[in-house]
Amino acid sequence: MTITFVKKILADGTPCPKCQDVEERLHKGGHWDAIDETLIADERDPQSPGMHLAARLGVTRAPFFVVREDTDSGVEEKVYTVYFKFQKEVLQQQTKGSDEAREILRDNPDLDFL
Amino acid sequence: MTQTADSANDRSPQAVLEDAFSRFAPDRIAISFSGAEDVVLIDMAAQLVDELQVFSLDTGRLHPETYTFIEQVREHYGVDIEVLMPDPEEVNEMVRKKGLFSFYRDGHQECCAIRKIQPLRKKLATLDAWITGQRRDQSVTRTEVPQWQDDQAFGTAERPLVKVNPLAGWSSAQVWQYIRNEQVPYNPLHDRGFLSIGCEPCTRAVGPHEHERAGRWWWEEATRKECGLHAENLAAETQSVRIIE
Ligand code: SF4
Repeated sequence: MTITFVKKILADGTPCPKCQDVEERLHKGGHWDAIDETLIADERDPQSPGMHLAARLGVTRAPFFVVREDTDSGVEEKVYTVYFKFQKEVLQQQTKGSDEAREILRDNPDLDFL
Repeated sequence: MTQTADSANDRSPQAVLEDAFSRFAPDRIAISFSGAEDVVLIDMAAQLVDELQVFSLDTGRLHPETYTFIEQVREHYGVDIEVLMPDPEEVNEMVRKKGLFSFYRDGHQECCAIRKIQPLRKKLATLDAWITGQRRDQSVTRTEVPQWQDDQAFGTAERPLVKVNPLAGWSSAQVWQYIRNEQVPYNPLHDRGFLSIGCEPCTRAVGPHEHERAGRWWWEEATRKECGLHAENLAAETQSVRIIE
């Protein structure tokens, strides 16, 4: 299994805060070593490796993870745009309900406006 | 199946509600009632079905007027309203560490996640569909809200969830016309300039030309409040692939 982490650089050249947060959580949780490759999706450069990969996979959110596994029928790629799902399914780590709720809210900014 | 936001093809809110109630068993579909003008959904639904499931998120920080209004709606329509509360331990932990007004300093996400999203998520796990009062005119982040959608935030591949937004295409003026024409009870805060009603510390009255979103979390910068929006607009204009924050 290989894991690619794609993080975004915003159009103004600053790093995406959510990508920074996820990277920090990977470090804190001791999971950084599980990441085989980190790619940058630079919004100013559609040809940057992360943007390229996002285009190929049809991903519209960042950060995201691509997990590649060799199977009998070839290489299988699974994309995770929700960190807590990646944590649970790939890193097999317990997640806190409040962290999951925060991520849901961050990905769906309308939900607070209920 | 998720529809696209398309005013031309919108059905009437009543037709959408009728469709929703015919597709899901009464115990598997519920209306999310915020204690504001989405009361029109209850009014419409009460005319369509006898068995109505309604829930409200009680964050513990609502205006007294909103609690009174929820009670008024319960009595007026004779419906049970399930009041969902946050996990007291999580609230305690946050308040003990950060105080009662941490949202003014740290932003509203943590508090909203604990007081709204968690209880909502728990409730939605028991349903196949939920009905909201979301409208395209409420916020720039809602311009794409369809009347019917697969809920990607709370649904999963194993447990799909449908989100029904019958009022998606209605304007605020249409909602208020309905309230007046049908003599629907409404939250008295609306008469005091509150266009949008949320928690007491995070909601304020707005001026005549202000957007209703301006009445929420006004101390946060617009870019944070509308997280990802600016990147999205910029990206849509300049490149075929966009990545949302
Ligand atoms: S609106 Fe304000 S008080 Fe209510 S849950 Fe969100 S941050 Fe907390």
